[in-house]
Amino acid sequence: MRHRTITSCALVAGVCLVVPGRRPSIEDMFVTTSLAAEETEGTMCLMPDGVDGPPVDGHYRPVSPSPDGGQQIAIPKSSNEGGDLPPVRMVVDPYPSFNGITVDTTNDLLMMSDTNRKSLLVYDRTAGSATSKEAAVPRLQIMGPDTGVGFVAGVAMDPGHRELFTVNNDVEDRLVVFDYDARGNIKPKRLLYVPHQSWGIAFAPRRDVLALSVQTPNMFVVFNREAKKFDAPVRSVRGPKTQMADPHGIYFDETHNEVVVANHGNFRPGELITAYTAYDARESRQERGGDTVDENARGRFLPSSVTVFDGDANGDVAPLRVIQGPLSQIDWPMGVAVDEVNNEIIVANNGDNSILVFPRKASGDVPPRRVIRGPLTGVKGPMGVAIAKDEIYVANFGDHTALVFPRLAAGNVRPRRTIRNAPAGRETSGFGNPYSVAYDTKRQEILVPN
Amino acid sequence: MAPARVIQGQLTRLSRTTHGIAYDTTNDEIIAPNPLAAAVVIFRGGATGEEPPVRTIQGARTGLSRPETVAVDEKNNEIIVGDPGDRRVLVYQRTADGNAAPIRTIQGARTKLLQVVGVAVDPVRDVLVVSTYSRLPGGLTGLLIFGRTDQGDVAPKRVIAGPKTGITRLRQIALDPETGKIYVAAINNEYLPPYSIDKPRAGLDPDVELPSPWNTGSEGFIGVWDDVADDGDVPPRSLIKGRSTGIVHPAGVTFNAKHGEVIAPDAVWNGLFTFLKPELFKGTAAGTR
Repeated sequence: MRHRTITSCALVAGVCLVVPGRRPSIEDMFVTTSLAAEETEGTMCLMPDGVDGPPVDGHYRPVSPSPDGGQQIAIPKSSNEGGDLPPVRMVVDPYPSFNGITVDTTNDLLMMSDTNRKSLLVYDRTAGSATSKEAAVPRLQIMGPDTGVGFVAGVAMDPGHRELFTVNNDVEDRLVVFDYDARGNIKPKRLLYVPHQSWGIAFAPRRDVLALSVQTPNMFVVFNREAKKFDAPVRSVRGPKTQMADPHGIYFDETHNEVVVANHGNFRPGELITAYTAYDARESRQERGGDTVDENARGRFLPSSVTVFDGDANGDVAPLRVIQGPLSQIDWPMGVAVDEVNNEIIVANNGDNSILVFPRKASGDVPPRRVIRGPLTGVKGPMGVAIAKDEIYVANFGDHTALVFPRLAAGNVRPRRTIRNAPAGRETSGFGNPYSVAYDTKRQEILVPN
Repeated sequence: MAPARVIQGQLTRLSRTTHGIAYDTTNDEIIAPNPLAAAVVIFRGGATGEEPPVRTIQGARTGLSRPETVAVDEKNNEIIVGDPGDRRVLVYQRTADGNAAPIRTIQGARTKLLQVVGVAVDPVRDVLVVSTYSRLPGGLTGLLIFGRTDQGDVAPKRVIAGPKTGITRLRQIALDPETGKIYVAAINNEYLPPYSIDKPRAGLDPDVELPSPWNTGSEGFIGVWDDVADDGDVPPRSLIKGRSTGIVHPAGVTFNAKHGEVIAPDAVWNGLFTFLKPELFKGTAAGTR
């Protein structure tokens, strides 16, 4: 790993960005380097003032300043206590990593969230090709510190009101809304604070509401579309009867008045769930329950599942149907979509790099009707899935692509189109908001959970 | 660059919300908490793909509520777990499996444990270090140093906290028993008040704009303290901090003592940074370790 990391940095000396003298903010630096990636190659190296090129034996070589400074940025030295030293190695992916995906068939647009560079990308619906090795050019990208776009996951588009939605899964705890013509580092037109670990968004245009899945409390919440700031959800579905466990993808099927939720299966009972953000243990179980804490409460692992609720469900209610079990092959399902015309549920099956298609009314431990899986498919770490105009759209997190398949694709088949956010062959680190690390002394490997 | 290997999928019993990890060099095992399923999972060191853990600690007897962070005491064959859900530190036999009770628990008002986000053990000096934070009235943000075998509602022997430390919020910690040095990921970003579904952000001005923790608060850093000599409001003995470092809000930290390296992931950059600091490690500068 050490050797591989060093090798990687050595390959990308041309990306290292240096300009002494300027002192932009870290936010500017982040945005600039991300945008610059479109015109550069490979893994990004950031170098301190006055040095260039990869480290040699752990030491940087000083060079003269770049004459043009065009794409280059400075990393100012801070006036701190003396620890301002450059890294000898770094793993930072300069390209976007797709996550949520949605299609606007009215305007023929495709929108995806980008967890890695913290952005929203909108493409023509038919962007990409079967053969291109180049990154597709988005119609617009929303990115920067003013946007409130951070560790984003789910996305939605409302062509009626020409609004774009994305929700931050971690860190920011907010949903942000933009106009269709928003670009660059722009403030959202609305901002809604949402429960920590909100992941998926489902927009229901007839009801004019947004449903959000929330991981930790095993619930989904429903907000009015125009909710803002501290507005509360109009209803929530939560509790042991719901059978939700670490929910991710969510879809509001207004044709059949149902809400479909994809669950990973990590479950804690309500007794163990405290008011929680990532940032403050404001309430512990002891504070909430005094001496009456139920010490018998325990976590459980449930099989991954897809739960289907009545569209008007509220409170602790049982799902109408549950797809779950070994025959279903459901394994860490992320995004979920419903083909309301052809009566099918499509699942981005992250755990085994596949796309599963079930009859809409499937229930119990039943096999999928079709499976897209195999090396030709290019499905790698699928996060988002959408269905529109007889095509299935897949956002990969495991590489720098999104894929488009014919609706009836099955087996180990090539995608009809590939939308790249980086030149072909660029690898991705797979990082998703890394918060801890360990070093494997035996294999000389760095372990990073996400 | 792509990872050398990936452990993922429902058979692994991991969650995609994992804020702690430890590697057991002696027994070649990986230990990780699963806060969403109130569990700790242990893998063989070479695990890859959708590989099940070799052991899982989970159940009513375990006392696990929302485990966030883990450490391993290879000398005494123990696994240490920090659990902010119940503001506890729990210690298990290293080989604990299933619905196993902890052999020791530190919990209670005297302990000052709040949002427990880091644990580390020094079996040479017999100390257990915990990183904790809170902005509750009277809450403490810093390092709590306990005796390694302390249990119950016991006060820490020493507390490293205060403005001179530079820590406004911290996360993972690592400890090198060879030197007694504590490595601290001082993320130092802003954080939001808890969300109540019925009354979101109750008590806040409806027009207030909450800061984005993406890049607010103080500049984050990696700081190094001594696990025996340091006490009170004392600055770090060594720092990795500043624009040259690239790190903004580091949430994790570990080290490669053999090569004199300190390693930190950064949530803002969604990346991993390695720094050369051989002077921190015993004998490594000369390559004798």
